[in-house]
Amino acid sequence: MSAIRRPQCVVIGAGPAGLGAALAAREAGLSDVMLMERDFELGGILPQCIHDGFGSIVFDQVLTGPQYAQRFIERVEKAGIEVKLNTMVLEMRGDRRITAVNPRDGVFELEPASIVLSMGCRERTRHQVMIPGYRPAGVICAGAAQRDINIEGLMPGRRVVILGSGDIGLIMARRFTLEGAEVEGVYEIMDHPGGLTRNVVQCLHDYDIPLHLSHTVTFIHGRKRVEAVTVARVDEALRPIKETERRVPCDALVLSVGLIPENELSKQAGVELDPLTAGPVVDERMHTSVDGIFACGNVVSVFDLVDWVTQTAETAGRGAAEYVLEAGRRKRKPPVRVTAGRNVKFVVPQLLREFDREIDLFFRVEHPERAARTRVLVDGEELYSRKAKMVRPPEMIKAGADPGGARKVEDITVEVVGDEEEA
Amino acid sequence: MKKTHNYTCINCPLSCALELTEENGEVLEVKGADCKVGQKYAREEFENPRRVVSTTVRVEGGALPLLPVVSAAPIPKALVRDAVRMLSKLTVNAPVADGQVIYPDILGTGVDIIASRPLP
Amino acid sequence: MAYVNGQRPLPSRAGLVVVGGGVIGCSIAREATRFISDVVVIEKESDVACGTSKANNAEVHSGIGEDAGTLKQKLNVRGNQLYDEFVRGLGVELKRQGLLIVITQRTIPRDGGMPEEERMELLTRKIPEGIVAYGENAGIKGLRILTRDEVFRMEPNVTREAVAGVFDPTYGLISPYKLTIALAEHAVINGAKVFLNTEVTGFRVEGGAVRAVITDRGEIETPMVVNAAGVFADEVADMAGAGGFVIHPRKGATLLFDRQVTAEYVRSSVAEFRLPGQRTTQSKGGGAMPTAEGNLQLGPTAIETDDKYDTSISAEEIEEIFERFHYLLPDFPRDALISAFSGVRAPTLEEDFVIGASEAVRGFVNVAGIQSPGLASAPAIAEMVLGILHELGLSREPRPDFDPVRPAPPKFSELSNVERNRLIREDPRWGNVICRCETVTEMEVVNAVHSIIPATNMDAVKRRTRTGMGRCQGGFCHNRVAAILARELGIPVTEVTKDGEGSPVFLGVAKEFLGGAAR
Ligand SMILES: Cc1cc2nc3c(=O)[nH]c(=O)nc-3n(C[C@H](O)[C@H](O)[C@H](O)COP(=O)(O)OP(=O)(O)OC[C@H]3O[C@@H](n4cnc5c(N)ncnc54)[C@H](O)[C@@H]3O)c2cc1C
Repeated sequence: MSAIRRPQCVVIGAGPAGLGAALAAREAGLSDVMLMERDFELGGILPQCIHDGFGSIVFDQVLTGPQYAQRFIERVEKAGIEVKLNTMVLEMRGDRRITAVNPRDGVFELEPASIVLSMGCRERTRHQVMIPGYRPAGVICAGAAQRDINIEGLMPGRRVVILGSGDIGLIMARRFTLEGAEVEGVYEIMDHPGGLTRNVVQCLHDYDIPLHLSHTVTFIHGRKRVEAVTVARVDEALRPIKETERRVPCDALVLSVGLIPENELSKQAGVELDPLTAGPVVDERMHTSVDGIFACGNVVSVFDLVDWVTQTAETAGRGAAEYVLEAGRRKRKPPVRVTAGRNVKFVVPQLLREFDREIDLFFRVEHPERAARTRVLVDGEELYSRKAKMVRPPEMIKAGADPGGARKVEDITVEVVGDEEEA
Repeated sequence: MKKTHNYTCINCPLSCALELTEENGEVLEVKGADCKVGQKYAREEFENPRRVVSTTVRVEGGALPLLPVVSAAPIPKALVRDAVRMLSKLTVNAPVADGQVIYPDILGTGVDIIASRPLP
Repeated sequence: MAYVNGQRPLPSRAGLVVVGGGVIGCSIAREATRFISDVVVIEKESDVACGTSKANNAEVHSGIGEDAGTLKQKLNVRGNQLYDEFVRGLGVELKRQGLLIVITQRTIPRDGGMPEEERMELLTRKIPEGIVAYGENAGIKGLRILTRDEVFRMEPNVTREAVAGVFDPTYGLISPYKLTIALAEHAVINGAKVFLNTEVTGFRVEGGAVRAVITDRGEIETPMVVNAAGVFADEVADMAGAGGFVIHPRKGATLLFDRQVTAEYVRSSVAEFRLPGQRTTQSKGGGAMPTAEGNLQLGPTAIETDDKYDTSISAEEIEEIFERFHYLLPDFPRDALISAFSGVRAPTLEEDFVIGASEAVRGFVNVAGIQSPGLASAPAIAEMVLGILHELGLSREPRPDFDPVRPAPPKFSELSNVERNRLIREDPRWGNVICRCETVTEMEVVNAVHSIIPATNMDAVKRRTRTGMGRCQGGFCHNRVAAILARELGIPVTEVTKDGEGSPVFLGVAKEFLGGAAR
C-alpha cells in the first residue's frame, strides 16, 4: 500500500458550500486542497435548480442555479484545486482520517491537516412525517422530483398533489405545470406558507394552483401506483379533522416537508451537533467541536439563500487555511455561547472564541412578528440594530457585529424586540 | 367601468395584500401597500407583469439529456407558457457553451433564450 | 443459467409443483430438491418473497410465545433447533442474539388490591419461574431468569418499571426475504424451476388424484402439489376441491428506524411480558427488535381485514405502536423513524397451522394457516411436508449430486478495503456507490439483476442489495437504480417498475406531456 496522503485541506461535498470553501482555503494560502464530490459533476444541488433567484447578495444579480454554480466551478477549475468526482466518503474519524472510494482510485485513505464538511442536506420522507396508507410508486420528495425532471428528463407524475409549501415544493408546482403535468393543489399543514412570498406568487398564483393552508394528507391510496390521497383540514393542534376528509385522485404525491442536514459522517467523527439546527455546533470560523474539522452551508443549518451558504463557506475555508498555516501555534480560546434571546430560535455560529473580526450571525425567529427590531448585544452594549417590517420563521435573518478588536467578552445575545418607533 | 385587482407584494416578508383600482386601464389607486415599493409593484403587475422564464430543452449527444435554459431578461408574463411550449419542441446539439443563445427573440419579445450552463 | 423466469415456457411436467414462492414454498422446494430435481415453484408476483414473507419481523422465535400443545408450538420449537443446519451454505446469516422478556410493574397493576409483598413475589419470582417452566416443558433450552439489575445491565434503555426478566438465548433474527430468495436460488441450483408472474388458476383432478396444475400461462402435469399460497391458500385449495378451511386475513404494521440511531439502543430483542388477559390484540404483543440488518423495529399491530392485499397502515396503528412502546422504552427517539410496513397474516379460524395431505384429492398437500411463527417454523414445516410427500411417493433416496452451496454475491459494505480494491480493479463498477445511505455499489445492483432469481424491479433490487432502504428512502438512488435496471434489462426507463406490473416509477419523459416527441 502506498503511503497515506496528507492534503492540507479536504472539502467533502462540492455544492455551493464546498466550492466556496475550497476556493477560500486555496486563496487564503493553502496549496494542497482536495474537493470530493459523489456526483459526476460539481455544483451539488444547483445544477437541478434551473429557476432564477440565486446570487442577489453575492453577485448583486439574479442568476439560475446552474449559472450560480458555474461562476464557482470556473474558478475552482482555474485555481489548481484537486477535484475528485464520483467519489463517496465512506468514513471519517475524529483524528481526521478519511476513507473514500471511486471507480478509478478504488478505496483510498487520507489524513488531511484540515477538513471542511459541506455535505448539504437531505429531504424528509413520508415516514418522517408519518403519512399513513399504502407504499405505492409515485410518492416522491420534491428535490428528488426536481432532479428527475430537470436532469434525468423523467416525469415522476402527471397529476400531482404537493404536500408542503416550502420553497422546493412551490418551485416544483410551477415546474410540473410547465412540463405539462397537472398540479391539483399544494397542501400545507401550517396556517402560513412555508416558502417565500415571491414563490407563492410566481409559482402558484401565476398558474392558478390552489394553496390549501391548514391541510394535510392523511392517507395514500393505491397498492401499486398512487391512485389518490385523502386530504383533511387540521385543527389548531395540527390534528386532522375527520369530517373534512376528501379524496383527491392523483398519480403522484410530491413531498416538500423539510430538510435535514446530512451529518452521518460528522457523527462518526464525534462532531458535536446542535439539536436545534441538526448540524454541527460551530464557532465564528465555522470550526466544529473537533479540532481541524470545519463545516459550512446546509450541513450546518438549512439556509434559505445560497448567498449565505457561500458566505459561511468562505468563512470555513479561510478558517481551515488559518488553522493549517498557524499549525498548533495558536490555542483555541474557550468559547462564549451566543444567547438566543427574545423571539430567536437559534443562532449560527453557536459559539464565539475570538472577537478580532466582524462576525456574521444567522438566526431564525420563533414566531412571526411585525414592526420588529433585531439587535446584537455584546455585554449589554448594542452593537447591531436593524428594523424589519416583519420577521417570519421561514426566513433566515443575518445580523453582523464588530466587537471592535480583541477584548474580553462575557456575553453576546441576539434578540428581536418590538420597534417602538414603528409601533 | 372601475375594476379592482388583487396582488400580493413580494418585496419583503410583510407580503402586503395589495388592491389596485383601475378604470379602462388607468390606475386610480393602490390600497394596502405599506410602502412605496408596494405601490410601484402593484402598478407593474397590472400594467406590464414580466417574468424570467426558465426551462429545459432536449440535447443530442450531451453529457446529460437536457440543457437548462433561461430568458436573458424577463418577458411578459402572459407569454411564459407559450415560450416554454415552444422550447419543448426544440432539440439542440452538444456541446453547448454557457450563455449560448438557444432561441433568439422568443415570441417577438426581443429577448433571447440562452443556455444557463455549459454542456459538454 | 439454471433459472427460468416469467418469459420462458412452462415445462409440460414436473415431479412436484409448489404453489407460492414465500418462505414456506421455497423451503419445501429446496428440501424437495435433495431428493428430486424436477421441482417447479409457481409464484404470481414479480419476485419470490412478495407476500407475507417480505413483511414480517424477521424473528426466529424459540416457541415460548405459542400455546402449549399446538402444532405451531411444536414446529416452532423444532424449527428453531433446525435453523443453523437449514441455512448452512445459503449465505444468509441467522443471528441468535436472544430475546429479553421484561416483566414490569404493569404486569400486575398496583391497584389490583393484592398485598404488595405477594405481588412482588409473583412478579419477581413466580412469573419468571413460570415462564421458564413453560418453555422447558415445550423443549426450549437455555432460558434464564434475570433480576432487575441484570435486565438493566443487558438493556440499559428499558423502562425503570422493569422488575425482572427472562432471557431466551435461542431466539434469533434472519432476513426473511433474503432467506426466501436464497432458498429459491438454492433450489434452482439443484434443478428446480421458479416461475414468476405466473398465477395458478386451477387444477386438473382425475380419479380423486391431482393430475396437473393450471396456470395463466399453461398447464404442468404433476402427481404432487404443495399449496403454500399464504393468505390465498384457502382459495387455492378450493380450486382443487381440497379445501375446507377459511383464512381470515389479519394485518400487522411495524415501524422501522434508522439503524445508525437505534443500533445501540437495544442489543437483543425486547418484549414486554403480558398476562394472557392483558393482550390488547391477537398479536403476541410483539416487541422492540432489530431487523437482521440492525434497524430497530417496533410492532406489530394486529387488525382483522377483509382484503388480502391490505398492506396499508393507519394513523391509529402508528399511534398505537408508539404508545405501546413508550412504556417499554421511554426515551426512544421517535424521529429516527425511516419507514413502516404492513404484512398480512394468514390465520385459519382455529388459529393453528393446517398441514397435511388432502383426503379428498390424492397428491395435494395443504400447508396453510401459516401465520406467525411461520418464519421460525419454516425448517420444521419443510421437514414435516417432506415426510408427507415421501408417503405420497416422492423418492426417499438423497441425490448424490445435490449441491449444498448457494453462492451469495459479495456485499461491498461488508468487505475489507483490500477485498474491495481487488473487486474494483476487476470491475470499476464496484467502486461506484449508488445508494449513499446503505453504501451499495453499481456492481451489486447489476449482480442482482442477473442473479439466479433475477431482480426485475426496484423493490426486488432493494430486497437483494438494500438500495433505498436507508434514511433517504431512495431519494438519492431511485433514478440511479432505475437507470441501471433499464440498461441491464434492455428496456426504456419508463418501463421500470417499483414492484411489477402497474407500478411504473416514472410516467413519461420530459416534454412528453407537452406533446414534444418522446425520446
Ligand atoms: C406483521 C407480521 C409479522 C410477522 N413476524 C414474524 C416473525 O417475526 N417470525 C415468524 O416466524 N413469523 C412472523 N410472521 C409470520 C410469517 O411472516 C409467515 O408465517 C410467513 O411469511 C408465511 O410464509 P408463506 O410462504 O406461507 O406465505 P407468503 O409469503 O405470503 O407466500 C405465499 C405466496 O403464494 C403466492 N400465491 C398465492 N396464490 C397464488 C396463486 N394462485 N398462484 C401463484 N402464486 C400464488 C403469493 O403471491 C405469495 O408470494 C409475521 C407475519 C406478519 C404479518
